[in-house]
Amino acid sequence: MANILTRYGDNYIAELSEEDIRADIDDGTADAADRAQIPELTKDEKDYLFEIIADPQKIVSVERGKEVVVSFDAGTLKLTVRNGISMDRSAAILTQERALASDSIELCHVDYSYKPIKPIIAEERQAMEQAQLLSVLPVLYGAMPNMGLYTKPDGPCDNWSELLPAGRIPEARAAQEEAIEHAIKDIVFVASNMIESGADGINFDTVGASGDADVKASLEAVRILKEKYPTTGFEVGMAGEFNLGMHGQLEFDGEIIAGLYPHQQVKMAERAGVSIFGMAVNTNSSESLAWNLARVTTFAKAAVKAASIPVHANVGMGVGGIPLSVIPSCDAVSRVDKALVEIAGVDGL
Amino acid sequence: MAVTHESCAGMGGIRGAGDLVFRMELQGYKINDAKKYVAEKLNCPVEYLADCAEMKDIRESLNISTTQPRPDAAVGIQAKFRIAEILGIPVNSVELFKKQAGF
Amino acid sequence: MTKEEYIKIAIDTMMKGDADAAVANMNAAIADGIDPAELLSEGYSAGIREVGDQFGKGRMFLPELMLAADAMKAVSEVVNAEVEKAGKSVEKRGVMVLATVQGDVHDIGKGIVASLIKTQGIEVIDMGRDVPAQAIVDKAVEVDADLIGTSALLTTTMGEMKVLEELLKEQDLKKKFKTLIGGAPVTERFAKRIGADAYGEDASEAVEKAMALLG
Repeated sequence: MANILTRYGDNYIAELSEEDIRADIDDGTADAADRAQIPELTKDEKDYLFEIIADPQKIVSVERGKEVVVSFDAGTLKLTVRNGISMDRSAAILTQERALASDSIELCHVDYSYKPIKPIIAEERQAMEQAQLLSVLPVLYGAMPNMGLYTKPDGPCDNWSELLPAGRIPEARAAQEEAIEHAIKDIVFVASNMIESGADGINFDTVGASGDADVKASLEAVRILKEKYPTTGFEVGMAGEFNLGMHGQLEFDGEIIAGLYPHQQVKMAERAGVSIFGMAVNTNSSESLAWNLARVTTFAKAAVKAASIPVHANVGMGVGGIPLSVIPSCDAVSRVDKALVEIAGVDGL
Repeated sequence: MAVTHESCAGMGGIRGAGDLVFRMELQGYKINDAKKYVAEKLNCPVEYLADCAEMKDIRESLNISTTQPRPDAAVGIQAKFRIAEILGIPVNSVELFKKQAGF
Repeated sequence: MTKEEYIKIAIDTMMKGDADAAVANMNAAIADGIDPAELLSEGYSAGIREVGDQFGKGRMFLPELMLAADAMKAVSEVVNAEVEKAGKSVEKRGVMVLATVQGDVHDIGKGIVASLIKTQGIEVIDMGRDVPAQAIVDKAVEVDADLIGTSALLTTTMGEMKVLEELLKEQDLKKKFKTLIGGAPVTERFAKRIGADAYGEDASEAVEKAMALLG
């Protein structure tokens, strides 16, 4: 069999033999299984994944009837800021709705964290209210918990990234615990205001980027918000395949947060009142699409099996098997989508 | 990339019934349950939900907006009034509109 | 106790990040006539590599990694004192200038690399984050470094690593300093393309590559 055109996680094209691709699928699924202590993909699933990757068509797609919904993080940042198109956020939302056929969208501010939204909350509310008048699709409001913003000099707490390497572990932990309280207040304040302005849901993006404290603050905030607004949807998108233990001892509902993998993260999210769980597995740019996709599909399958709520796989740049490039290739993106929907059974992307 | 995702795996937003199915996922329904719920409310087979031909007719007949709404058709918040009623769920912006308009 | 038993305890003390127990084990081993350098390499270094692997899998957390690094440092000091007592000079394996490149403020990974590399007897000059390439070169010249390590988390900043390589070539310093690069978007192939001497996929591999570059 001739070599198969595929890609590496850095987005560059590569020609690999069938044997190499199958070996990468075996290694990728084994790596995920070993890390998260979950089952590997079955032989049939690995064979089907090989078919998806080796398909000679440039673009592949899910079978008719297996379509899923698509949600967005950094929603209105994409067209107006990253693509540099001169349009306001309402126009961006309508473009997503009427030109790009999006199933949902997120209104967000360029300073994509909850803390800096506080002083401009009135402007954000106005933007949400106008967008809701014009649009039909669900419009969420979203930002990142971004705990780093609570450390000196940006915030009131000591910087645990400096304290930890200095061996000052109790102080580093105390600083994180202090920051959690600030973050919960800010998230609840911003989210409540945006819900009062008509948001269809609140998105927590890149949860855990600053470690387990970030996860704790987000889930505690969801719990408060869900009690306050029981019919509102809350989507929580994670930062990585396991919760990084910057603190290491933090708990939610009596369970240690650090070290949890997607199939465990989702159960904790459910208990907090999360409506849609966004799992994230970082793409390894040095490995092939086959390795990365086998790995993420293994994590995703276990998370979907464990979940009672919808699981969306984060398939943005450098996540979920998508190559780590600002312009990821369509051939790789389409294969990621097909594998995650048809093999892992995710509820959305 | 958004276009690739939507073309390869998405439900097509208001070209299909992606917005409606998403609203049910926000209520905690998993994808197949969300599709089933929406199909029942629209009185159509589940297979129609991502089919732009069938859904154009359904959306126009229910007056819940499409990508190219015609004159006299409901758009924006108007369409969402109808969506809330058809799906039988509260839509936050609709509730806010009612409050602001003094309903 | 046998050497194997001391090695087992050494690994265990690293896993627990117990500096006192680590030092006590090393002192007892020295008193028993065990070669401290061998125990350091086969026991403590192996232990800290295991800690790094467990951290990479989410089974150990950052505070534990830092405690292990501290314990390693304490043991290294005992070994250095012992070597000096024996009339030999303490061998520093090299000097490394380390920085996150300009435009990039991500430094958690770099901090972990710094902590682990220090445990191997390499002096690390950590310049922090958002550091211009020329400032890195100037510091390397100033401290007479052997190695320059740079980290980037963003696809938009990894190009700074190429800028660094070009500056080193322009200023005829490429042969003087070995370069080691890492970070999520960085790959072995990228390292080759820009002319970096080595690529470390994670903190453990960065340590291995740094040691290899120093010969």
